[in-house]
Amino acid sequence: MTRLIRSELLKIRTVWSTWVLAGVVVLTTSGFGLLIAYAPRRRALRDLLVPSGSPRWFDGVFRPMGIAQTLALVVGVLIVTGEYRHKTVTPTLLAEPRRGRVTAAKLVVAATAGLTLGVITAVSGLGLGYLLVATGHGTAGIMLTEYRLVLPGDLGAAVLFALYGVGLGALLKSQVPALVSGLTFTIVVEPIVTGVLPTVGEYMPGQAAMALLGSAARSGGFGGGGSLQLLPWWGGVLVLLAYGVVLSVAGSLTTLRSDVT
Amino acid sequence: MTAPLEVRGLTKRFGHVLAVDDLSFTVEPGRVTGFLGPNGAGKTTTLRMLLGLVTPTQGSALVNGVPYRSLPDPTATVGAVLEASGVHPARTARNHLRAVATVSGIGMARIDEVLGLVGLADAADRAAGGFSLGMRQRLELARALLGDPVILILDEPANGLDPQGIAWLRDFLRHFASEGKVVLVSSHLLAEASQTVDDVVILSGGRLAAQGTLESLLEQGSKKEVLVRTPDRARLLEVLAAAGMPATAEGDLVAVADATAEAVGPVMAAERIVVHEMTSSAESLEDLFFTLTEGQEFQSPTGPPLAGPPPPEGQP
Repeated sequence: MTRLIRSELLKIRTVWSTWVLAGVVVLTTSGFGLLIAYAPRRRALRDLLVPSGSPRWFDGVFRPMGIAQTLALVVGVLIVTGEYRHKTVTPTLLAEPRRGRVTAAKLVVAATAGLTLGVITAVSGLGLGYLLVATGHGTAGIMLTEYRLVLPGDLGAAVLFALYGVGLGALLKSQVPALVSGLTFTIVVEPIVTGVLPTVGEYMPGQAAMALLGSAARSGGFGGGGSLQLLPWWGGVLVLLAYGVVLSVAGSLTTLRSDVT
Repeated sequence: MTAPLEVRGLTKRFGHVLAVDDLSFTVEPGRVTGFLGPNGAGKTTTLRMLLGLVTPTQGSALVNGVPYRSLPDPTATVGAVLEASGVHPARTARNHLRAVATVSGIGMARIDEVLGLVGLADAADRAAGGFSLGMRQRLELARALLGDPVILILDEPANGLDPQGIAWLRDFLRHFASEGKVVLVSSHLLAEASQTVDDVVILSGGRLAAQGTLESLLEQGSKKEVLVRTPDRARLLEVLAAAGMPATAEGDLVAVADATAEAVGPVMAAERIVVHEMTSSAESLEDLFFTLTEGQEFQSPTGPPLAGPPPPEGQP
């Protein structure tokens, strides 16, 4: 199993899409933050967008974590569907014909990749935060307190979203449908369902990830308004884990029988 | 003793299409076995079932007596190159092999060894996206050889190879088999395969059309004739007629039907006939192949079975 995981790690390191995604994470994290902090030169406008020191200011600067989560989902999908797209699934399954083990190794590697993307986001967000504090655009106090509260949840959500991506990829196998359905669900379907049926919404991946942020999210900001109906943090973990594992198992069961042609 | 490769009652149905129909054959070690048939005969599907990539509808496909998925060390047992097997365009040749070597616990030194063997040592660190079809074929062959397997399964390996590459592959396969190992190589071109294979398994419409050694197949289906070039055609015709060998003049040649050079030669020597040239010719391999596999496209997938191998005599 260790050898299988090492092989999967090698595969993800040796394709350009991994590094492009990592680059996108860094660019968006720092880019969005800088935009919010500096672009609206007029003080009134800037305060309208992101009142300095408010949760929304913090959210804008520090938490393009949603991007890390989304890209972790993309990485998870690519780890599985890339093999079908480039037909490398044949050599992979010739070397390890037990398909359940291959999916398990991919889950481990996806989790590692998700965590890495989360850490990259956190580091570049923190760096940016210090830069903003140093240039008088906020206070270190709010930054560190709030950050400490949400960081574990953010990292955990990135890991779990990567697993969710592997599951989606294992089930659908085809790259474009898996990416489109994963992203559409998170960006379009989920907000609508959450708005209409909050009780159902709290079990959706994005809201479950929000639950991981704990009291910080419930007390306002972070993309919500304080009135969010969310699961307890452990409930969020379980829901996201279920998405990843259930989809992966379902995917493995169908690939176990499916023909690789 | 279990055969290294054994297919028993193997059947695969894709929806309404019966791709492989109750196929049985075994492959012996120390010989190169050609797996032949026109495109769409079910060769690739059968190979994929042997390799655990496609699940049979019925029957079994076994490697050393067990399904591929139950092999303890698949890479060291079977090396396979399949047509739709891919290489990620962004990955270098070396990294493509490293991914497999890592899974199978094979050292990095072996990667350089197999890359050298297939002539890709200089391209080891180039991205495979820039490789020609022939280079990708050789890279996949290198991957198949990583675990030093005792069984090689190659699906249409000549595709994309240049004539030197094909000649090299032929020598390689002959050498591989001469070490007592197993080679199963598919092709839709019998003439090309006939230069390499000892045994043949011929598929047509998903069914076994013929199986045996290449020689027995040639015996079975061939019309032999001997062509003689001589300045003394009229006398040769007389002599042969007297010896009970009907012959006809064809241009400046005399053609002796259903005869062998061993039978015609002594007759001519006894009569002291000057011979400039004598050749034996058999029905062309392509004709034979066509006879064995023809009509495939007229068979409905669930239609009646094709005729078996043609009878040894009475062929038109």
